[in-house]
Amino acid sequence: MDKPIFRITNRVLMAAALLVLLGHLAVYAAYAANLMRFPFDYDQGEGFELMDTVFFSRGEWPYRDTEVFPFYSSNYPPLFHVLAAPFVWMVGPAYWYGRLLGFLATLVTAAAIGFAVYRDGAAGGGRLKLLVAGLAGLAYLASNTVYHIGPLFRQHASMVMFETLAVVVLANAGEIAHVRRRRLALAAGLLLVIAAGYTKQLAIVTALAVGLFLLIRQPRRALVWGGMAAAVGVGVFVWMTAATNGEWWRQAIVANINELNIQQSVGLFRLWFSLHGFLIVPAALLALYELYFDRLSLYTIWFVLAVGLNGAASGTWGGGDSYFATAIAATCILSGFFAARTLAGEWPFTENYLSRLARPLRRFGPGLLRAGLIIIPLLYLGYGRATLHLPTQQPPFDTFARVLNIRPNALNGFYDSARTADGQFSAGYADIGHFTTPDDVQAGWLIVEQVRAAAGHVMSEEAGFSLAAGRQVITNPTQLLNLDKKGLYDGGELIRLIEDRAFGLIIFRAQFYPPRLLRAVGDHYRHAESIVMNGFEYRLLVPN
Amino acid sequence: MFSNDFTLTKRHLGLILLIGGSLGFIGILGIDILDAGREGGIGPAQQIALGLCALSAFIGLTLLPLGDKPA
Repeated sequence: MDKPIFRITNRVLMAAALLVLLGHLAVYAAYAANLMRFPFDYDQGEGFELMDTVFFSRGEWPYRDTEVFPFYSSNYPPLFHVLAAPFVWMVGPAYWYGRLLGFLATLVTAAAIGFAVYRDGAAGGGRLKLLVAGLAGLAYLASNTVYHIGPLFRQHASMVMFETLAVVVLANAGEIAHVRRRRLALAAGLLLVIAAGYTKQLAIVTALAVGLFLLIRQPRRALVWGGMAAAVGVGVFVWMTAATNGEWWRQAIVANINELNIQQSVGLFRLWFSLHGFLIVPAALLALYELYFDRLSLYTIWFVLAVGLNGAASGTWGGGDSYFATAIAATCILSGFFAARTLAGEWPFTENYLSRLARPLRRFGPGLLRAGLIIIPLLYLGYGRATLHLPTQQPPFDTFARVLNIRPNALNGFYDSARTADGQFSAGYADIGHFTTPDDVQAGWLIVEQVRAAAGHVMSEEAGFSLAAGRQVITNPTQLLNLDKKGLYDGGELIRLIEDRAFGLIIFRAQFYPPRLLRAVGDHYRHAESIVMNGFEYRLLVPN
Repeated sequence: MFSNDFTLTKRHLGLILLIGGSLGFIGILGIDILDAGREGGIGPAQQIALGLCALSAFIGLTLLPLGDKPA
């Protein structure tokens, strides 16, 4: 079928695509190493995830009454923090291990994507299929979204890992002939879904996809196994609600349903497509192929629901581009299948009205498959360019930036293709990804010194300064705001402390507090100093 | 339906998508008709939802001729 010239061109382009995506991996690893060395908050709210971990390490719940001192509560499920808790026993509160866990979770996800493409992408094996599997896994790590949320002290990357593992385990579980092995695979896959849900609530979309897939394939199995999984998930939920006097339900569920800004969702959909379009188009084509010519796989149902539901939810308050991470994992798997099938020439079209309509086009089939040998690696090369992001001032990446004439458009000399040349970006896209510098570390310690020197309590919008200074962490601002938006927050006691000037120092960054708290601070505190760390202004306020 | 061998067909899936999409479309339009006092007409979120419902119904329709092939 394929002439030597096509085969040789294919191998050269595949090698080039692999090199480009390995380059992305090098930038990602350097970024992860840089963040693991940075001892303060990098992304808004990381410190509160560390605080949740500290609570679990003490055997305490972080779901608490926010009306009583220290006015703290978490809105996130526990699993990621429970996994990180042993590190608190070993080395105390620190950011590096949470960031390491997030980074490792993305590597496991990439490996699972690669495994899925190798196992289910096309019949047969071979080095070319292995290469496609590698490209699919690397494509996940090359995504701008995965890059900037992966190595954070946040649970999102771990949720996507559990979701991806669950989907890979369950995709073929129903076809396992050996009864005991099939039951083990179903149980393991459903436990992974539950693990994803108890890592972050957004994993509900994967639970829906799995339920729908089981229902389509065998309704009886869906009811039996879905019922058992629901019993386990609901059982844990009820136990947590009872153990926290209802605060788990109030803080993590009721307060966590936020209003939708559809314009933000639309903007993030456009951004997602502009960055990942080279893989989204083949993924969508494969989904259509399964719909009309094959059986719907779990991967396709997962892809459609993750794109539709998580993409829409990305416009909620507290959402953002990270909500596309699950869809990106699914996109990498389906586009990998498309690539593997095309390179193997495996596109059987079952006889139906659509294949009959397309019959006159069949004579172009061999030509299309030959073109596929060139198009597939070009898709990955195009994707590598579309998602380009790198520091332009740190060696060795500065050399590449100079050669490719890439100019920075983000903080600290960073270039990110998700932004315009003058640094603008879609609402909801996380303003991170740049490397931290020694000046940032020094600025952080300057703030810590102020915290240490303050008389009385310190209320900081980032928990890291208080933790580094050995001070009590007071409030979780975004959670107070979540509760306030639902009319579930009074704040009388905290406002009284602010009015009594009980805080020797208040540190603001984005001012994500309920408005009446901000007004009370404005009336009783004055701006003393601003310290810029990591490109963000930290405003230090002292009593009037 | 609850036997070990039962599986949904393309026709079943088509019917589900067709009925679900049509009911969704009517429901979303119904919000405006029933909630007549509300200002602003059909907003951008509703427009997107209407489009998705129509697409769902259309896909459902195209699946019906595929008959008893497993979904």
